[in-house]
Amino acid sequence: MTRRRYQFAFFSLGWLLLIGFIVQRGFDGAFGTTFAAVRNSVADFGQTLSDREADAREHVQPHMRREDVARAYPSLSAAVLRNPSKMLYGAFDGALPESFAGITALESRIGQPFAVISFYQAWGDRPDEADFPLRAASTIDRLGSIPMITWEPWVKDFDPALRPNLPSPAEREYASLAAIARGDYDFYVTRWAASAAQYRKPLFLRFAHEMNDPYRYPWGPQNGNRPDDFIAAWKHVHLIFQKMNATNVLWVWSPHISMPWFEYYYPGDEWVDWIGTGVLNYGDTAPWSRWWTFHQIIEKAYPALLKLHKPIMITEFGSVTSGGDAAQWYEQALRDAHEKYGAIRSIIFFNQAHDVTLSATPLNWSPLQDARTMSVLRLAGR
Amino acid sequence: MKSRIVLGILIFFGLQSVVLFALWWFRAEHVSNRWLFAMLSAAVWYGIARMLVGWYNFFHIEQPPEKRAPEGLSVAIFTTSSPGEPYEMFVETLEAARAIAYPHTTYLLDDTGDPRFAELAREKGAVHLELIGLPGAKAGKINAALSRTREEFILVLDPDHIPFPEFFAPVLGHFDDPRVGFVQVAQAYYNQPRSFVARAAAEQTYAFYGPIMQGMHGTGTAVAIGANCTFRRSALESIGGHGLGLAEDLVTAIRLHAAGWKSIYVPKIVARGLVPEDLGSFVKQQLKWSRGVYEVLFKEYPRAFRKLTLHQKLSYLMIGTYYLVGLTTPIYLLIPALYLWTGVQPAAMFISEYLAHALPVGFFGVVIYRFAQRWLCDPATERGWHWRGMLLKVGCWNVYLKGLILALLGVAVPYIPTAKSRQAGNFWRLAAVPLTITVGSLATLAAVIIRRLYLMSEAEVRITTEVAAGMIGFLMINVVFMSGRIYAAWKDREH
Repeated sequence: MTRRRYQFAFFSLGWLLLIGFIVQRGFDGAFGTTFAAVRNSVADFGQTLSDREADAREHVQPHMRREDVARAYPSLSAAVLRNPSKMLYGAFDGALPESFAGITALESRIGQPFAVISFYQAWGDRPDEADFPLRAASTIDRLGSIPMITWEPWVKDFDPALRPNLPSPAEREYASLAAIARGDYDFYVTRWAASAAQYRKPLFLRFAHEMNDPYRYPWGPQNGNRPDDFIAAWKHVHLIFQKMNATNVLWVWSPHISMPWFEYYYPGDEWVDWIGTGVLNYGDTAPWSRWWTFHQIIEKAYPALLKLHKPIMITEFGSVTSGGDAAQWYEQALRDAHEKYGAIRSIIFFNQAHDVTLSATPLNWSPLQDARTMSVLRLAGR
Repeated sequence: MKSRIVLGILIFFGLQSVVLFALWWFRAEHVSNRWLFAMLSAAVWYGIARMLVGWYNFFHIEQPPEKRAPEGLSVAIFTTSSPGEPYEMFVETLEAARAIAYPHTTYLLDDTGDPRFAELAREKGAVHLELIGLPGAKAGKINAALSRTREEFILVLDPDHIPFPEFFAPVLGHFDDPRVGFVQVAQAYYNQPRSFVARAAAEQTYAFYGPIMQGMHGTGTAVAIGANCTFRRSALESIGGHGLGLAEDLVTAIRLHAAGWKSIYVPKIVARGLVPEDLGSFVKQQLKWSRGVYEVLFKEYPRAFRKLTLHQKLSYLMIGTYYLVGLTTPIYLLIPALYLWTGVQPAAMFISEYLAHALPVGFFGVVIYRFAQRWLCDPATERGWHWRGMLLKVGCWNVYLKGLILALLGVAVPYIPTAKSRQAGNFWRLAAVPLTITVGSLATLAAVIIRRLYLMSEAEVRITTEVAAGMIGFLMINVVFMSGRIYAAWKDREH
């Protein structure tokens, strides 16, 4: 290759880079909607394929899960879900939403299907965060249950390359709730709400949970998020959902009841459908923890929750086995929930065998690990 | 020039598609099983890296200027005969060698011990050299003959190739540059219409002797390979004679390049020869080649490395790793089967996301491959999708894997000349590997259908449809890739 030819090659490559850059910029603008439409039709095709497969399965095995759910919960209409008279049992499983194997295993051992299936979604631009999890929610609906989505505003997950208008990921976490209330993340909330409206069926949405805990999530008070900011963000998001016609969403306001001042974060009766809170017994697995019963964990906060006149959901319900008798813990907890705490209308088992949220060594919350616990639950489910 | 600009634009957009694919592929959230993801990434990016180097090579495509062969050069043709090679073939080859217009002497390097060959040589005006019991395939004989002859330029002519009368006209002029050590011409065939295997084997070489070698000429990395390379005697003598080994042409080329000799590639068809016509012969040939090429990679390449130019370092690495398809194919075979039987998968990717990012790369790969076909030696007959060649290459993965293992263990493969006529073989033996994979894949498919209809929970069936469908798709692609070798074995079965 002669020198002149290299010069020519570099010269033309420079021009091509410029053209390519412009074309790609334009591509996003001009074909962004086309691309999204193609992606949606691929997703629709996947759902259709899945439905056809389920039809074929029904052909050889007429038994369907939604019939079992209907037997245990004769009605799960929107009106019933706002104020159920019967306790709604549900579960979260660590393998969701890619696999239902853990949910199925738990159900078959308890002998009854769950009314509610809970899973978590973070905000962000990753494919598993970018939009409403329509595929998982639709599957839960086809299985006869109600999805509950814990919707976590991890604002740093938005790709800086795609979001030049946002501050850098590290800067975003400070006062993120005020930013949400200001509308900085409307691009995301609006799209998500539109898809949620498209889903049409009822679903529980638990937005920015444990907002009053300064040791947990970035939307907590440690990052300059005040109660007013939380309430403003909640209302702002809620209004977008209303504007997008996502009235199928049931709003679960979910503070951490062991932390003080959670009442100051309450947005108001017309903005909330359910009160949610986790009740997890860490036993002796953490230095700050002892073996606490369900009653010991909830009793102090319960009167304050009761005053809000909303159904209460135990959004994460479980006990480790280390430090006490787990079977007895579950038995007593379920009895107390029914007898002492009448406002509790839903209990979601926390079937997570590998929890590393708070500790480096994973904690096992799965009731499946203990045979005696399972026999307790089997009886309680009846 | 216009072609090069269009090619440059295509390569540019192709590069962008690869960059976008890479940025998408290597994301932490895509890793499902760390080991499998590493294996799959190695296989995928091995293929893409080869494609990129291929594009770079295409961008350097260049044809040597036409140079008239000066009169009065002393030229020899060496052609070798070994026991088992058919007599009739030499009648034709020696006759054609005599008919080459440029004054030359033809030598028949013979170790058959068959008096008919000596008689034939005399009849066809060739010098008969009886060279029995020498090491190496052709190379031992060539080196012995070098010491008994004095011509300055030596064409090593494969005995199954029939040279055209004008063979030397486009070749000899290039030796006016005293640094040129050898001139390679295109290799082409006349028997490819005779069977599926012959067509597939020929298809595997079209791009190589077309755009690839022309690009290698442009980067100064054209190799002596296949057949019909003309050497300068002093070049061969400077490296102690023709190299030995299963890939002796390649050994010679890398040594000549390391010694600083230049090479010329003339993309002209001035001879046509034979490709294997039956699967058994093809497999034996491929085992020999892969074993030989790995030997060059492991032994010659490190030795020559420091003396090679940057382009030559890259080029010989590409040649040396060509048969790694023997290592990547089993990864592609393993992954869908592993998921469908155990649920373990290498990557957690949305199938729509995968298609959106991978299809542009595949698109530009195909478009550039087709575009470069304008540089084929005989575009009218050689253009096409070359699917037979691809099917047989992937279908013979275990042969290349065997070549790699033999090379690593240092086990020799005996040199047997490739059969010159079609041999029948036992179907079950010829097709054992692809047939096992096909049967295994179909059994997997049946098991998956039964499991999903009867055994799996409804919830699990509903949520895993797309992943299972995607994996079944990959499984079926594997079945398609195995079909070529099974078909070839069926056509070559004993009756």
